[in-house]
Amino acid sequence: MKFHARPSSTSHLAMLRTAFAASVALVALSASAEAASLTIGLSSSVNSLDPAQAQVVQTDLSTISELYSSLVTRGPDMKLKGDLAESWAAVDDNTWSFKLKPGIKFPNGEALDAAAVKWNFDRVKSPDTKARNKLWFDPIKSIEVVSPTEIRFITDKPYPALPAQLSMFYLLAPKWTETHNPILEAMGTGPYDLVSATPGDRIVLKAKKDYYGAKPAYDDVTLRIIPEAAARMAAVEAKEVDLAFDIPVADVARLNKENGLAAGWIDSSRMMVLKINTLKAPLDKQAEVRQALNYAVDKKAIADAIYAGASTVSACQLVSPQYFGFNPDLKAYPYDPEKAKQLLKAAGVSGKLDVELEVPLGRYLAASDLAQIIGQQLSEVGINAKIHEMEFGAWAKKYAGGDLGNMALTGQAWPTLDADGLLSLYDSSNPTSYFKNADFDAALAKARSTTDVNARLEQYKIATKIMCEQAPDLFLFSQPTTYTHSKGVTWQARGDEWVRASDVTPAK
Amino acid sequence: MSESRTVTRSMLHAFLAALIRSKPGLAGAVILTIFVLAALLAPVLGLPDPVKGDLLARLKPPTISLSGFGAHPLGTDQLGRDILSRIIYGGRVTLMIAALSVLTGGVFGVVIGLISGFFGGWVDRVLMRVVDMQLSVPLTILALLIIASLGPALHNLVMVLALTSWVQYARVVRGQVLAVKSREYIQSARAIAAHPLRIIFHHVLPNVMTPAIVVLTLELARIILLEAGLSFLGLGIQPPDAAWGRMLAEGRTFMSTAWWLSVFPGVAIMLTVLSVNLLGDWLRDYFDPHLEG
Repeated sequence: MKFHARPSSTSHLAMLRTAFAASVALVALSASAEAASLTIGLSSSVNSLDPAQAQVVQTDLSTISELYSSLVTRGPDMKLKGDLAESWAAVDDNTWSFKLKPGIKFPNGEALDAAAVKWNFDRVKSPDTKARNKLWFDPIKSIEVVSPTEIRFITDKPYPALPAQLSMFYLLAPKWTETHNPILEAMGTGPYDLVSATPGDRIVLKAKKDYYGAKPAYDDVTLRIIPEAAARMAAVEAKEVDLAFDIPVADVARLNKENGLAAGWIDSSRMMVLKINTLKAPLDKQAEVRQALNYAVDKKAIADAIYAGASTVSACQLVSPQYFGFNPDLKAYPYDPEKAKQLLKAAGVSGKLDVELEVPLGRYLAASDLAQIIGQQLSEVGINAKIHEMEFGAWAKKYAGGDLGNMALTGQAWPTLDADGLLSLYDSSNPTSYFKNADFDAALAKARSTTDVNARLEQYKIATKIMCEQAPDLFLFSQPTTYTHSKGVTWQARGDEWVRASDVTPAK
Repeated sequence: MSESRTVTRSMLHAFLAALIRSKPGLAGAVILTIFVLAALLAPVLGLPDPVKGDLLARLKPPTISLSGFGAHPLGTDQLGRDILSRIIYGGRVTLMIAALSVLTGGVFGVVIGLISGFFGGWVDRVLMRVVDMQLSVPLTILALLIIASLGPALHNLVMVLALTSWVQYARVVRGQVLAVKSREYIQSARAIAAHPLRIIFHHVLPNVMTPAIVVLTLELARIILLEAGLSFLGLGIQPPDAAWGRMLAEGRTFMSTAWWLSVFPGVAIMLTVLSVNLLGDWLRDYFDPHLEG
């Protein structure tokens, strides 16, 4: 390489040479890093890295799953497989035994054995921890260390969904946790180590060299939080981000046409509904009024228009066919405004029925559009739904505080893909059920009290039928998971909202 | 009596003549009149329902062309609603909110300014410190805070917008009162022991109204923008009612596939604010004798 500039001294030339060499090295370095790095764009913030405080699958739990191990995990094929657990089995109706992989150690040398699992479980259960997901593990009464590689979970009643629920139970290092704040820091046995976490901006991960499981394809992973859909799409188009979620359905076709990009959607396990507060007038007493709401809305037409057909209409139940406990006998309420009017008349509703419709923003795809169309269709049968849009956090507070309006647009899912968890959202003992039905509660309890698959299905049939008739929801349709990625990567699309770097591989 | 009417009429005549001579002022007045008339006459213009959409006619591009308006002159939005109709009905909401806020803020601000300037002393000091305090708070943040806690409703919106605007009037009017207070006619009214309220409303107020009117036009433009901003953030008018800022926000996600959703409401906001500003500038020049000729 020759420099044509005439340097005034040799030292100047040397300096230039060094600078040039350094910049070449830098380019080479970033090129090699690029080959093994992956950037994922998320639509909302990761709020906590503490497994006990994590509730949202797409952000908190997904990130935690890169950092920590769980006993079992769900693969992109929706099947459960062992992570820390080598095998598991029901010993009797109320006991589950898990055999652990031996010799797993945290980076600081602590052993991840049965005692550590028990410590984690006790931590979640302890009132001092104030674990936000304590409720998930309520059916588990106690936990017993048999040997360093075997642990037993003991429940009051048979709890067949236990292994699935444990796929959301991530394991901290006991000693490390005593001196560190697991909400902001992390040290786990997962495939990645935490490099940095900037709240509301990004999380940077680096692959572990000595991970016990299958090594993920990318060494460097960055999760970028980009709340604005347009900005998220632009980041993918500019190749700053390799894979992004929650893009507007209307843009899927456009992105697909773009050079080097792919976009699509997959039916998700999240069911969109208008949750009805059945404890609040005027939608509290007569189920007929709530049924009328269900008849008044043209679910198919709305799903086709707003979600571009990338969605399946609910079969009059919260449970979609992906879940255990789906009831194939139920059919969606047909779109029949006349029937709706008749039902309202029979229920003694004269004139306009005024109801509130709360719409949390920034959480569900096209929430505002959905609410406006539904509101318009309801108005045609004489129901005046007054829309209140609010920020998701503010709405969630209202909802958790028992102060839900007459109706609210929400999407409901349960990551274990088992009706047990999903339907328990409507169990009257749940403070946010806004629904009281003794027969429904009884069916859930009975389903929980047996491990016999057919007996459980029978009870879920009863429970879903009650819910369909009592209509504590205006059942809508599934929310699609939309995504776009560069053609440089392949993503094993999954509809259960887990975002894992290990599901992404470089395209061949 | 008849003489004063003649004087008023000739003043109005001179005013209009001056307006017609001024090109920017006239343009502003004409555009604003068109928007106000469209808003007032919206129900009789035979427009499609602004709230009810046709799901089968979503995101249709504008049909306006040299040969005619077509079914949806400015296209339809993501729910199949006619955009022209939504802009006109949205204009009703936007202009009504702006007018109500400007008047509420204006009346309040003028009264405060009169009291502060006329009485002086500690009353003046206290009121002007309140004004300073209000000015030190970022207005958009204040509006966001109040709307977020009280909830987005029409009367809350008007109240908040009025709150952000009264100080401008108060300061301008106070300054004007200070200038007028020492004039002979005020001194003579005082000398015959006229009641202070009589002096304020009969002798001071008419002489401070012109600057207040100029402030009003400028505030109107600012408030239209602020309302659009609040609606854009989802804190303005609740759906399905149309408001320009809200239409802009809803159209934003479709920018790359359907530009007409956000461009036309944006143009409506721009034209209105521009026309009000042009009119305001002209008014200021017209009333200010120093700038004449």
